[in-house]
Amino acid sequence: MDEIDLLREQASRARRLVVDMAASGVGCHLGGSLSVVDILVAAYAVARSEPGTEVVLSKGHAAAALYAVLHEVGVIEENPAPRYGRAGSPYTGHPGPKVPGVRFPTGSLGHGLAYAVGWALSRRLLNRPGGAIAVVGDGELQEGLVWEALQVAQAKRVGGLTVVVDLNGGQNDGYVSDISPLTDLPARLAAFGFEVAEVDGHDIEKLVRTMAPTDRPLAVLATTVKGKGVPATEGKAGSHYVKISPARARQWKAAIR
Amino acid sequence: MTATVSAREAYRLELTELAADDPRIVCLEADLGGPKHCFQDRFPDRFLNLGIAEASAVDIAVGLASAGLRPFVSTFATFAAFRAGESVKLGLGYLGAPVVLVSPYGGVSGAWFGPTHHCLEDLAVMQSLPGVRIAVPAGEAETREAIRAAADGDWPCYVRLGRNEVFDASFAPAGRGAVTWLNPMGGDTCVVSIGEKPTALCQAATEQQPDLGHAHLCWVDEESLTLALPQLADARRLVVVEEHRAAGSVASTLALLLPDREVLSVNAGADWPAEGGNHDETLAALGLTTSAVLSAVLKGK
Repeated sequence: MDEIDLLREQASRARRLVVDMAASGVGCHLGGSLSVVDILVAAYAVARSEPGTEVVLSKGHAAAALYAVLHEVGVIEENPAPRYGRAGSPYTGHPGPKVPGVRFPTGSLGHGLAYAVGWALSRRLLNRPGGAIAVVGDGELQEGLVWEALQVAQAKRVGGLTVVVDLNGGQNDGYVSDISPLTDLPARLAAFGFEVAEVDGHDIEKLVRTMAPTDRPLAVLATTVKGKGVPATEGKAGSHYVKISPARARQWKAAIR
Repeated sequence: MTATVSAREAYRLELTELAADDPRIVCLEADLGGPKHCFQDRFPDRFLNLGIAEASAVDIAVGLASAGLRPFVSTFATFAAFRAGESVKLGLGYLGAPVVLVSPYGGVSGAWFGPTHHCLEDLAVMQSLPGVRIAVPAGEAETREAIRAAADGDWPCYVRLGRNEVFDASFAPAGRGAVTWLNPMGGDTCVVSIGEKPTALCQAATEQQPDLGHAHLCWVDEESLTLALPQLADARRLVVVEEHRAAGSVASTLALLLPDREVLSVNAGADWPAEGGNHDETLAALGLTTSAVLSAVLKGK
């Protein structure tokens, strides 16, 4: 089995953990977690091969995916699903620094990208290797702070910065295209000085090949399916936040390939 | 100890001197540091003017601090407390990243610039964030001391400054947890001054009433105030004078810390001063005057 196959297996196992977290009693942001799993698996694979590279999940509501992937890559030793959302557990609905492998608090949208810009800048100031991979949501791009941070990244020529946009098309109240559409996104990011790549956000091999930080700021537009992997949730805006029974979780996990 | 430069300029000079020996120090501006910045001249690689992007500036500073650097971010008090408020809450409060915010235009030092450039609420915001240390220095020496203390430590800090006026402070800087007595207590009452103009008002008040003690403080977050309390043990009545609203004021924090003492507040009140005039005139319009200090001292006696 080659490395990409191993990563695909990691992603499948992580998806099952995400479904377990949806059955935790408090539920989770299932749709956006399942859409971003492959991106996170690829990002951590790239970070492993580029020492000093920090992955920042700016769309922090996909915490379930982050915890699942951090468990699969060995950073979180215990299975986080049984304790997700429980008293005394660090696995809150949005990630914070008490979680192993999480450096920045995210979930209030827009901040994660700016933290990543700071981290990437630190590599230059400290003359150390590495960079930052920020994973943002498409709905998150409606936040002004995102565009402030992109402007600074351009103005200060921040190298070693990759911004991956999880284009799953959904947000809390419905579809991005209905609420505040993202017109000409590739051109807009290119105008901010970013090299722009468009990929299938579920093709781990292409994601790994595309998202390694370069000397120039890089934007990876990753087209994904909200709720990916579970037929009952795929492409449905209503999968944004889901709470299910353990029996339903067993059914949904069995359908994950 | 006499000042020759404004606190704002003292910050720039002190930080530049500190950076010579501390390679962790990074100076961030958000288009309000002026076109000629001494730090930029000496350490261009560690000076970043990020443009008019205050929230990003604080988040980026948090990213730098998390990598082991010591970022100082300067923007006006109102932009630090409100425009970048959530970034401050999450980065300096929740995460506890050792970022230092240095904010001129505190209080109504912006005077004729109007309420968009005033900030009579910043201490309330910062005081509500556990772990953030707050300094309100008066004059060059105390500002330099506060910047040195902020650079030495490993904590998030907020340093509130005035605008460009030079404040002639002929007294020893009050360090963290320390009180500088500008007039000894002759009775059971002392005024407590925070910042430049309130210190001047209290000095004028004690000239008229020499038995009135005058305790000057620089570090005013709850933890720092707690350290200073033993030095205020002889005061039964404390009249706190500050360029801030009553809510979230240093007086309110001291009142909670000293439930058995009488803590009175002379503050900037509830108005939004939207008229021209210099700093003193704006304060007078708000009722923050020497006579207001003396009236408060007499109240309840």
